[in-house]
This record gives sequence, structure tokens and C-alpha cells, in this order.
Amino acid sequence: MIRPKLQTVKTHENGDGVASKAPPMVVRDLSKSYGSIEVISGLNMHVDPGEIICIVGPSGVGKTTLLRSLSGLMPPTSGSVSVGGKVITQPLEEIGIVFQDYRGSLMPWMRTLENVAFPLQGRGIGKAEREQRAQECLDTVGLSDAGQKYPWELSGGMQQRVAIARALAYDAHILLMDEPFGSLDAQTRLGLEDLVLDLRSRLKISVIVVTHDIDEAVYLADRVVVLAGKPASVVDNVDVDLGMNRDQIKTKSDPRFVEYRNRVLSEIMRVRD
Amino acid sequence: MTADSNRKRLWRASPGLSLIQAWWLPIICILAWWFLSAGSKSFYFPSLETILAVLWRDLTEGPLLSYMWISLANMAAGLVISIVLGVAFGLLIGEFGQLRDALMPMLNFLRSVPPAAIVPLVIVALGTDAAPKIFIIALTCFWPILLNTIDGVRGMTPQLRDTASAFKIPYSLYFRRVLLMAALPQIMAGIRIAVAVALVLMVIGEFFGASEGLGFYINENKQRFAMTETWAGTVLIGFLGYLLSAIFVKIEAFALSWYFQSENAND
Repeated sequence: MIRPKLQTVKTHENGDGVASKAPPMVVRDLSKSYGSIEVISGLNMHVDPGEIICIVGPSGVGKTTLLRSLSGLMPPTSGSVSVGGKVITQPLEEIGIVFQDYRGSLMPWMRTLENVAFPLQGRGIGKAEREQRAQECLDTVGLSDAGQKYPWELSGGMQQRVAIARALAYDAHILLMDEPFGSLDAQTRLGLEDLVLDLRSRLKISVIVVTHDIDEAVYLADRVVVLAGKPASVVDNVDVDLGMNRDQIKTKSDPRFVEYRNRVLSEIMRVRD
Repeated sequence: MTADSNRKRLWRASPGLSLIQAWWLPIICILAWWFLSAGSKSFYFPSLETILAVLWRDLTEGPLLSYMWISLANMAAGLVISIVLGVAFGLLIGEFGQLRDALMPMLNFLRSVPPAAIVPLVIVALGTDAAPKIFIIALTCFWPILLNTIDGVRGMTPQLRDTASAFKIPYSLYFRRVLLMAALPQIMAGIRIAVAVALVLMVIGEFFGASEGLGFYINENKQRFAMTETWAGTVLIGFLGYLLSAIFVKIEAFALSWYFQSENAND
């Protein structure tokens, strides 16, 4: 059954002193090959409870492959991904995924509320309870009134909010997002970035965002993991010390923001050349 | 809002105009048939007036109405069987690649046997009651539904499959609420073909070794050179075919309303 929202399970403290329900995630020596082509080689990273990690890298570097391995959708060729100390072999209930293509990942034959509640049906939760839970999660992402609409009646940004609500309703403590805002217009994108920051501080979840947008990565992240090379591995970990409260204008004009951004960019450029 | 879409709107908005749009050609054809055949003395081409009179007589006083229900019941039974089996196997074969590799060569061979060719065989094997007629309809309608369902499953966006596995949707729920729905537009296209084919096979199946039904009525009257009755049966089947496809369009529009609307929304 559903865990109550504020249940005190084993909590973890991260650097900022936030009590998080999210289990830590550790990736050890992860490699992934398709046939004879090695895409990722010996990749190590970790996600502390309540952290926002952004994985950046040039297009085609294997970011999506990494994310599929982290989610348990695809087994690694060697190495391991463990969550809360256990090696994952299949998708976990602790992990909610938001896909890049919101149009393709929401079901057009279900109303928004049903879309959000559907994964709970798979767990055998009764209709009334799962719809209540789904409505709460729609409230959380600012879509209280959209439950009876179909996804295709909503804008792209709203559809991606529905996808986020669905991951939250699943009771995920780790949110995996694959280029989540890549196909949205700039303004919608900024709003959703702030939603992610807000969800993290309210729900104490860990968030892993794969993106090719360096500004977005630095703005969101507590730590930016720079992926580069063929096969790809982690070439830099940039701790972004900009605090928990960020603002699209103030934070982005902070000299330290520019410094972080330039560091990430130069890492990507360096490996590319 | 362009002038063109305004014009379309006007067409849609007025039911009178759209009725004319849908019916002008059939009405002209029926009127032409009526007047050109009026007073016909030809043995093979009686006037439409006589055909309709005989049709009415045999429907109200003769056996034609009960024949019609018998034929339609066989057709419905055959269609239901083919839909259930075609969709079930189509979903399984479409979803599991190994099953597809194992079965498709044989399925492709079997479906290339023309259905009419097996009618005599089936009647010899299954006798002359309803069973062989239902079997022939079910077997023939199975193929378009099966193949369309397989295509529908394979055409599903891969993100939906990822979504289902990421959220650990159990197979029973996945098949019913994801795979079936994703394939539904294609399945309906398959059923649409099947309905047309079923009508043909319904008639052919009753040409051989039958003692009732619309096909029997046509065939028997032909054999005793009762041409007006033969025409009447043919006209009735044509009308039924039209009615069935009209009903099907309504069902399809209802079942796929989300699909048609989302297609428009994405334009």
C-alpha cells in the first residue's frame, strides 16, 4: 500500500543537512557495449540522498544509455548500479522516470488523472486511493484542474508536468529525468527547472537530470557530472556551491555561476578536441 | 483561421448540407435505376419496382426475414470468434519477437490459401448446419485482424513500452490498457476489412449444402430461374452491407474518439 507522505523511514543526511528519504545511489565501474561498440567504459558516480545531479555531455556521448542503466531498464555489460546498498537488476519502485518524449510516454487514451494513477493500479491499489494520490501529485506540480483532460489537450510543458506527477505518485524517491525539457520553449523550460528545485526542497527527493544544456545543468545541480569521450566516462565532477535557493536571474548572473559554467564547458571542449 | 477552414466549418455545422453531400450520388443512382428499369420486360433485368415488391413480399410473408437473421447470426458468431482470436494472438505475436519468428512463416503460408477454395472442403468435413459457415467466416476474418493487430503492436511508440517497464506494469494490465489500446486504431482497420469479407463469405458459405440463409435464398432462386427473387436477395445483401459498414463507422468513431482528436491536436 501507499506510504503516507511524511512517514519517517530511514533518512539520510546530505551535505546541506536535508533529511531525505531517498536511498543513496552508487555506480561502480559501469560499462555498456552494444555488440562490439563500447558506449560507456568504467564509469563511477554516486548520488547522495536529496542531491540534484546533472549529467552533461555532448550529443551522442551515451547519456541516455547511462540513464537507462541507472533506471534498471537495461542491464550494464559490466559493473553495477546499486540503490540503498542493493544492486539493481530491474526497475525499482524507488525510482521514477521522466522521459524526454512526453508525447510518447503519456497514454493518449487515458485522461491525465488516469495517466498519473496508472502505475499505482499495477501495484494493486484501489481506484479511490490511487485517484486521490494522483490528484495530490497533480496539485504538487501545479495542475490541479487538469485531471479530466487528455494529455493531448495540454501544452508540452503541462504534459511534462503530468509525467513528473506520475513519477511522484509512484512514490519515487529518486527522480530520473532524460533531457526532460529539451523540446520545450525557453520560458516553459525555466518554469519547469524551478519546479524541479522546488520538488527537491519540499519532498526531499534525489533528482538525476540528463541534459546537454550546460546552463540548465549548473542552475539545477548540486553537482554536475561531466561525461565525455568515446567510450564515455566521467571526466569531471563539479560541485556547484550556489545554495538551495536559486533564482533564474540572480543565480545566473552570479559570478560563481559563470565560473562553474565555464569550467563545465571547457571540460567538454577539452575532451572533444 | 483561414477561409478554407471556415468553409469546412460551415459544411460540418449544417447537417442538411452534409446529408446532401453523403447521399446525392446513391440517390441519383437509385432514381436512375428506378426510371431506366421501369416497365422492363427483360427476363434477366426486372424493374426495380418489381424487385422491391418481391423483396417486401418475401420479407413479410416468405422466409426471407428468418433467413436474414440466420445469416446475420452466423456472420456475427464468425466475426466475434475471429476478433477474439485475432486480437489475442496478434497482441502476443506482436509483442514477443521469438513467437513472431517461430509462427510467421507458417501463418503467411496459411493465409495465402484463398478462403473460397476451402469452402467445399469445410462443408464436407463439418456438415451442412451452421458450424461450417461460422468456421469459414471466422477463419477468413481472422487474418486481416491478426495481421493488423501485429502491425499495431509493432507500431507502438517504444517509449510506452519503456514507460510500462519503468513503472513495473504487470503483463495483464499492460496487455489490456497499453498494448491493446495502442494497437486499437490498427485493430479497428482490420475489423473493418473483416466485416466486408465476412459478408462475402456468409453468402458463399450458404451456396453449398445449405437449406436456409440469404446465400441459399439467392442460389436456390437462381437455380429455378426466379430472377426477380434472385435480384431481391442481392439487393437485400447490398443494403445489409451498407448498413453494417455505417454501423461500424459509428462504433469506430466512438471507440477511437481519443485517437481522432489527438491526431487533430498534434497538427
